Amino acid sequence: MDEGNDLVDFAVDYAMKKGATYAEARYEHQEQENFILKNGVLDALYVGQDRGVGVRVLANGALGFAATNMRTKSDVRAIVDDAIKGAKASRRRTKITFAHEDAITMNWSVTEQRKLADVPVEEKIAEIQAVDRDLMQLGFKIAARYFQLSDNRIQKYFSNSEGSHIRSYSPRLRVFYFLTVLEGSDAEQTYRNYGWSGGWEGIRAWDLKNRVLEEARSMHKSLTEGKKSPEGKMDLIAGPQVSGIASHESCGHPTEADRVLGREASQAGKSFIPPDGLGMRVGSDVVTVVDDPTVENAIAYYVTDDEGVKARRRYLYKEGRVTEFLHNRETAAAFRTRSNGAARAVNYNVEAIVRMANTFVEPKDHSIDELLEGVKHGVYMKSFMEWNIDDKRYNAKYAGREAYLVENGEIKHPVRNTVVELTTPAFWSAVDAVGKDLEFEAGFCGKSDPGQALDASLGGPTMRLRNVYLR
Amino acid sequence: MEDLASHLVEKAISLGCQDAVADIVSNRSYQIRFAQNEAVISNRWRESTASVFFVYQKRVLASDIKDLSKADEAVERLVKIAKGSQENPDYAGIAKGPFKYARVRPDPKVLSLDEGGKYVEAAIGGALDQGAKECAGSFWKYEDEHFLATSNGVEGHDHRASLYLSIRALVSLESSGHGIACATKLSKFEPEKAGHKAGRIAALAKTPKSGKAGRYTVVFDPLIFGSLTDQVGGRLSAWAVLAGLSPFGKKIGKRIGSSQFTLYEDGSAESIARKRFDAEGVPTKKNVLVNKGILKTYLHNTSTAKKFRTKTTGNAGLVAPEPHAVFAKPGDRSRDEIFSEVKDGLWLTNTWYTRYQSYVTGDLSTIPRDGIFHIRNGDVVEAWKDIRLTDNLIHLMKNVEALSATTEQMMWWGEVSIPNFVPYARIKDVGITKSAE
Repeated sequence: MDEGNDLVDFAVDYAMKKGATYAEARYEHQEQENFILKNGVLDALYVGQDRGVGVRVLANGALGFAATNMRTKSDVRAIVDDAIKGAKASRRRTKITFAHEDAITMNWSVTEQRKLADVPVEEKIAEIQAVDRDLMQLGFKIAARYFQLSDNRIQKYFSNSEGSHIRSYSPRLRVFYFLTVLEGSDAEQTYRNYGWSGGWEGIRAWDLKNRVLEEARSMHKSLTEGKKSPEGKMDLIAGPQVSGIASHESCGHPTEADRVLGREASQAGKSFIPPDGLGMRVGSDVVTVVDDPTVENAIAYYVTDDEGVKARRRYLYKEGRVTEFLHNRETAAAFRTRSNGAARAVNYNVEAIVRMANTFVEPKDHSIDELLEGVKHGVYMKSFMEWNIDDKRYNAKYAGREAYLVENGEIKHPVRNTVVELTTPAFWSAVDAVGKDLEFEAGFCGKSDPGQALDASLGGPTMRLRNVYLR
Repeated sequence: MEDLASHLVEKAISLGCQDAVADIVSNRSYQIRFAQNEAVISNRWRESTASVFFVYQKRVLASDIKDLSKADEAVERLVKIAKGSQENPDYAGIAKGPFKYARVRPDPKVLSLDEGGKYVEAAIGGALDQGAKECAGSFWKYEDEHFLATSNGVEGHDHRASLYLSIRALVSLESSGHGIACATKLSKFEPEKAGHKAGRIAALAKTPKSGKAGRYTVVFDPLIFGSLTDQVGGRLSAWAVLAGLSPFGKKIGKRIGSSQFTLYEDGSAESIARKRFDAEGVPTKKNVLVNKGILKTYLHNTSTAKKFRTKTTGNAGLVAPEPHAVFAKPGDRSRDEIFSEVKDGLWLTNTWYTRYQSYVTGDLSTIPRDGIFHIRNGDVVEAWKDIRLTDNLIHLMKNVEALSATTEQMMWWGEVSIPNFVPYARIKDVGITKSAE
């Protein structure tokens, strides 16, 4: 790490000598281990040691970025020259500026009760194989089983020309699984994604085996007992997985300030919220959605972002109104505000841009029974399979995986492929009650070019939506 | 670098591995991202990586070694880890070389290109000329050099370079168009034409009305048809079939498209993803995937080929087979004929966020973006917005009823993950849904 630190400090000093008005450099050392268990067979084990330096400069009012994994001074000198040359060649009419931030010097790290590096790969494989074995003993046909376990131990050193020097260590653990259950020619498929910032203790915190078995049983029940989902206007009880994806897709993404300003227009798109949209009503009074990097053990936990700004909770929608955009220093300057610490990069070799962290619907005080009590006729959608949303984040679709008919407050038989296809305001305005059962799942959030699939948490409690069209 | 690849392979074998592959990759790519009609950042990379694949008694391990100065130590550590891993009974070895490769070299004018600002300006200018107000996108000069060695006698070198530009032009938030320019030769690179197309669609898409759900005959512009053929190509990886991530399982020899629909895959053909060899060193070649609607093969590496009792198709990735570039056979219609034969239908120009309710059935939805047009008797009568294509991948391919006579090379962020050479396509009975009020 010291070698990387020296190169980072050298890069910043050299960039300022070469004419940058601002310079920052990031050294990252990511140690990755992941494997795929496909239909009970270990497909391949991947072990990576990824490290390098990325440099970003402001010169002539434009941004230049360059990166290398060759860690010598001459290589770092070359990427600084590249970054400055690229910035100067931009010939921008409007000059990019950064919002003010105080310099920070700090070290932070995430605690591991049992270090990921100390867990032999054999033990990790055995853990997933035990889940797979139990799955095979359920007594019905699971045509395809796919598990991926990955851990990533990320060390960073960030320095900038304003005097910030930040060292951090962030260990992360993930499990993704995908199942196909067959009944005759009919199939039910599911995927789930769990994430953890911390050590191997995460695998126990998830209660993975029971969750996977429960999911497989519910898939079989959908296939054998499931009926066509009712069509028409009715109430919807949306489980934590559904409220989580909705908070990410139709609250988090549209409040990213770079998207609002059009910087992502060609890729991830823009936003239905205009730059002057703070205060705009998008939901009912009970809807509050936050993005919070400081949720301990959530996969997107961090103390400082990749521009050296301290992380804090951001209220995106509060009591149904847009209250805050997610900012990095560039967008904060454009909006004449301060960054709220949302700049992140997936690795040393890409620029930090505005990203969500752990996004969730703020829980309230209803139990699930209380939420169900008021439903005469509706659907309880616990989870989804297919989903998508348009690039202005206005038209979303969630198609049910595990869902049940609800009549007079009672859960009845499973219903298949319930479709919720609503606009963002229609979805959030219909919420009349929010539960207290906050849960998180992990996701990979895609954005930028080159694409940066970044760790994110999607969370929420069960919610009740009144009188929405389902099919 | 060539020596290093061979050295790493020899090192792994000396430590007890039976199979070893090392691909030393040098990346010198360069990019300009632009938005609001000007550059927002310039990105450059100077990276060298050894992508390695080691097998010890059927224990398969893959890695990227980033610190080449300590590559020997890395190999020792990796082989030790491989020895502690588990057998993959499905592993069936790597291809036996040596092989002869086609002689191809990158365009020196592309290699020497050091600044892309004028191509960005040309694309933006092209879009603004057509009435666009705001443009965003990316210009790329891709350059990477591969030195491959395997323990089965393969030694290969491949220097790849190409140019790419993607531009989205907007008149307003809901009136936009997209254009793509791809070339391996500087003289064939047409960013201004891509800008024109994006701007023209954006201007035509002014004041869109909310669309109507139903089933329509739809003209697919090459960019959105490319996203569908990209789905077909990717789901034909034998690995996807085995993982339950494909609707094409047990469909070899069966109809999965109309008789108009012929699709092949070819890493050796001219494209911005042209490769001399796959990850095992097997020379890339043309593979007919779908012939007149009948599924002919999955994409294989040596291991999946053995499982399916066939031969590798030259599509090995480090672990799983993957397509290099996909080509739809063009049809016999002019672009105008494709449109003129539509009595009451739609023209879709782009899409994103394709997701499946079931990969094994192919039930999916995807969200058209940029220009969406209602067509009557071949003419655009109005622009639409806020619709979703909700259908089934095989149903869509079976309903391809006409293709234009020329194809374009398409590749785009996320949706068209590799080059797809595609014509305009007319597909009947396409499901369109929309959000409820």
